Amino acid sequence: MPEPLPSPAEELATEEAQEGLPVDAGTQEIAAVIAVPGATAARRRKKPFGVGAWLALGWLVFVIGIALLAPVLPLKDPINWSDPTLKLQGPQWGHILGLDQGGHDMLSLLVWGARPSLEIGFGSIAIGFVVGGTLGLIAGYFRGLIGELLGGLFDIMLAIPAVILALAIVAATSASVTENTGSHVTNVTIALAIVSVPILGRITRASALSWSDREFVLAARAQGASHFRILWRELLPNVLPAMFSIAVLGIAVAIVAEGALAILGAGVNAASTPSWGNIIIGGQGNLSEASHIVIEASIAIFLTVLSLNHLGDALRARFDVQEARI
Amino acid sequence: MRTLVTKLLRFIVVIIAVTFFSFSLIKLVPGDPVNYIIPFGSNAIKAQLRHDLHLDDPFFVQYWHWLRNFFTGNMGRYYGTSFGGGVSVSNQLWKALPFSLVLILYAQVLALAVAIPLGVITAYRAGTRFDGASNAVAFGFLALPSYVLAFFLAIWVAVKWGLLPVSAAGKEISPVSDWRYMILPTISLAVAQIAVYMRLLRSDMIATLREDFITTAQAKGVPNRRILFRHALRPSSLTLLTVAGLNVGALIGGAVVVEVIFALPGMGYALFQAIGAKQYVAMQSYIAVIAIVYVVINFVVDILYSVLDPRIRHARAAA
Amino acid sequence: MWFRRRKRRSLESADRFPSAPPDVPLLEVDSAQTSFVTDRGTVRAVDGVTFSLERGRTLGIVGESGCGKTVLSRSVMGLLPKHNVVRSGSVRFEGQEIGNWAPDQMRPLWGTQMAMVFQDPMTSLNPVMSIGNQITEPLLYHFDISSGYARELAVALLQSVGIPEPDRRLRQFPHELSGGMRQRVMIAIAIACGPKLLFADEPTTSLDVTVQAQILDLLQTQQRERYMAMILVTHDLGVVAGRTDDIAVMYAGRIVEKAPTRVLFSQPRMPYTEALLASIPKLGDAAHSRLATIPGRPPNLIHPPQGCKFSPRCAYVQDKCRVEEPPLRPGPEGKHEFACWFPVGTPEGRAAFESNKKAGVAAVEARLGGETVPVEGVS
Repeated sequence: MPEPLPSPAEELATEEAQEGLPVDAGTQEIAAVIAVPGATAARRRKKPFGVGAWLALGWLVFVIGIALLAPVLPLKDPINWSDPTLKLQGPQWGHILGLDQGGHDMLSLLVWGARPSLEIGFGSIAIGFVVGGTLGLIAGYFRGLIGELLGGLFDIMLAIPAVILALAIVAATSASVTENTGSHVTNVTIALAIVSVPILGRITRASALSWSDREFVLAARAQGASHFRILWRELLPNVLPAMFSIAVLGIAVAIVAEGALAILGAGVNAASTPSWGNIIIGGQGNLSEASHIVIEASIAIFLTVLSLNHLGDALRARFDVQEARI
Repeated sequence: MRTLVTKLLRFIVVIIAVTFFSFSLIKLVPGDPVNYIIPFGSNAIKAQLRHDLHLDDPFFVQYWHWLRNFFTGNMGRYYGTSFGGGVSVSNQLWKALPFSLVLILYAQVLALAVAIPLGVITAYRAGTRFDGASNAVAFGFLALPSYVLAFFLAIWVAVKWGLLPVSAAGKEISPVSDWRYMILPTISLAVAQIAVYMRLLRSDMIATLREDFITTAQAKGVPNRRILFRHALRPSSLTLLTVAGLNVGALIGGAVVVEVIFALPGMGYALFQAIGAKQYVAMQSYIAVIAIVYVVINFVVDILYSVLDPRIRHARAAA
Repeated sequence: MWFRRRKRRSLESADRFPSAPPDVPLLEVDSAQTSFVTDRGTVRAVDGVTFSLERGRTLGIVGESGCGKTVLSRSVMGLLPKHNVVRSGSVRFEGQEIGNWAPDQMRPLWGTQMAMVFQDPMTSLNPVMSIGNQITEPLLYHFDISSGYARELAVALLQSVGIPEPDRRLRQFPHELSGGMRQRVMIAIAIACGPKLLFADEPTTSLDVTVQAQILDLLQTQQRERYMAMILVTHDLGVVAGRTDDIAVMYAGRIVEKAPTRVLFSQPRMPYTEALLASIPKLGDAAHSRLATIPGRPPNLIHPPQGCKFSPRCAYVQDKCRVEEPPLRPGPEGKHEFACWFPVGTPEGRAAFESNKKAGVAAVEARLGGETVPVEGVS
């Protein structure tokens, strides 16, 4: 049957022995045919970054750039400037992306809205990366009681659906939610950071567990290296690729989650801090007559998430990360 | 057998830990919980409530009371008059929980029903234009937040074309007989899962199709369809089923958002309303129930796992 | 189940594939070529192979790994992927040309006319399907029989391949069986639909030595009882010794020598065959005697050496061999064919060997069991 399977490059990159061959013919014999002297030198070592990855990187640099430069860009004030007579109007001279339901300029809303979205996405994962990474590294290196306890802690935290956990933490910590005025960027960031800790912790733990069995770790231990030195110099560099690829995907999830929290009434306050998420939520009521509001903000989220997903996948393929299925 | 006992013990520990967490949430709230529950009540009523909730007792005693009440179905009630005042939380829960479970079931069934054939065919036709296009579309859907999809479905299919109802706000609907209300939420929930499942199954299938036993089946003269679905699918579906099981958690989270958008009377909507109305007692129970449902489903998936693949059953027996 | 909706054939019409007249061999392969298109170039895995086989006879195909013997058998059976594979030449089965048939055309033949036993019984059985289902599957698909009857047949098949308690085995899964038992199951699957031609592709390579002889004996008795033609592919001359009617030795995608088994063992003509025979340890050898080796490695099939492909490793090599490739042609004895300019055991061959010995050619020393001199690859 499977007459097929001229497998795509990504599949082949891992199958170096029978690279370029129809995979179905994977007999040892054919592998032997290919593994002739001289041919081995030509095998590809690492998958290079493709065009897609560079495009993704380019978009992210652009978004981060305009978010940082927002105060100096010649934009209308996203909150204080408004023209109610033009509200809900589509793209026009002076407002190339149109105006929202309050008559605010969409372009400046989107540029300023990138700031809380990115702050929450990168900030929460950065905290989760450091905390979850440290705990995971410790759990993976010191097995025994510490490892089991930390592993159990991760499992318990993962036993609550992420959105619910984040929602509960925002709801419980942010008094202003109860006044229905939305919460502060910091609350949302911390809530999503707590959610990301067990996810990153578990990946790091699994990765550290497998690396700490390797000979070089045993060798370092035999030479009397301190635990800190082994963790820092031997384990961490090997565990980082797995953590990075998951973290990049995590940023995307966090940016989307910010919008989800906004729907649930626990998002960033739209009146004082426009974010991509709450622009979408705010615009959805006028979707039928002014769809540009939701569409434009959705495109911003979509492209950013697409770029992050693509980069995460590229990193994962490049470093051949195994436990990426969480 | 021993592993089963270990699993069961682990399960119980996780259940207790999760309920403890849900309970502790109220402690995270700055200030006196009673002031959030009934801010305008008289001091006498507040004291009575504090006593009812065992708030004057030590923390673990409070937890113990709460846990006992929780498992006996006595989850307290909604306080105040603003929203559902006096309604028993467990009553509300028994209406909302089945609704959410059915919604998640629909989404899961739809996702698997679309993703399995797609995953099998793209693996079989790996490298072709069809495969490339399917993967690109799947990758795109992964980057599309489910709430954006929900908004657009609501506005086009429901409002502009008038094909389906937009919102169930204020209606008592059943997830089975009022299926027209369920279609758009189900699609919104399922689309991202389809992409995840398809990609997973595809990569596992490609690996399986390289196995020797596939060539054996081929040499028997069995048709391709049967080889794909009988021989290759089951060994390839292990990761898919694990992820589908774990994903129930993600679906519960997604369901909360979708229920709020379409105003469906499920757990998510109830939790959303409880948070909005500062009903902390109800909130505790809802979060605990959601977490327990999630843990139970994962436990069942884990057990099913070992039934599904004789290799695992074998490895467990040997271990 | 939806995939059960298929045309079923009755038991008798299993033989619907028209039998050829008695004087036409069951299988005729004529200048078969199979190449794989890879990133680095075209690998000519099978490069012009011709042979024929009659029903009831066995042919051993022997060669080092990478010589194309497995690709040859899969190519004849049509089991290679269709992408990046180029096949040419003719394969006639029962006098009918099947070399260019698509998998859909071949499918009715697989199992009923020709079948294959694979190398590794650990990986060739579906791990998540019961033994019973795996055996009855081809029966149910090819014949119009009830599943109950198919199970009876499966029990009988398991009995005939020497598996005790066949009823119980039907419900077991592959991992519950030993390697030898699994290979017996593989054989039962292969012979289930009564094929006329059986390929055994390294059937004992991955088995314990103690089990190897049992499996080979089983293949032999089944082949005789069912009057099948059998092609036994192996890298081990010891496996085919005394078990096959004829032997074809393959090197770099070509048959380099073909003879009746007894003749090949007693009078090898091709230096490669001689070297293979010399590398088998013998009981008569003194303890600690050094084994003869073949220096170097099998050639790169993308850029094969000019002339005779064995020339870089040959103890008899002369200038002519490096330029001109010898054709496979019959020697004076008639049925003995070989491809060599300076055959072993002939005056020309002896002269070539002696001159190389004087010149100190590495292959000669390795051949004589002296210090092995590594000859680096040919690329």
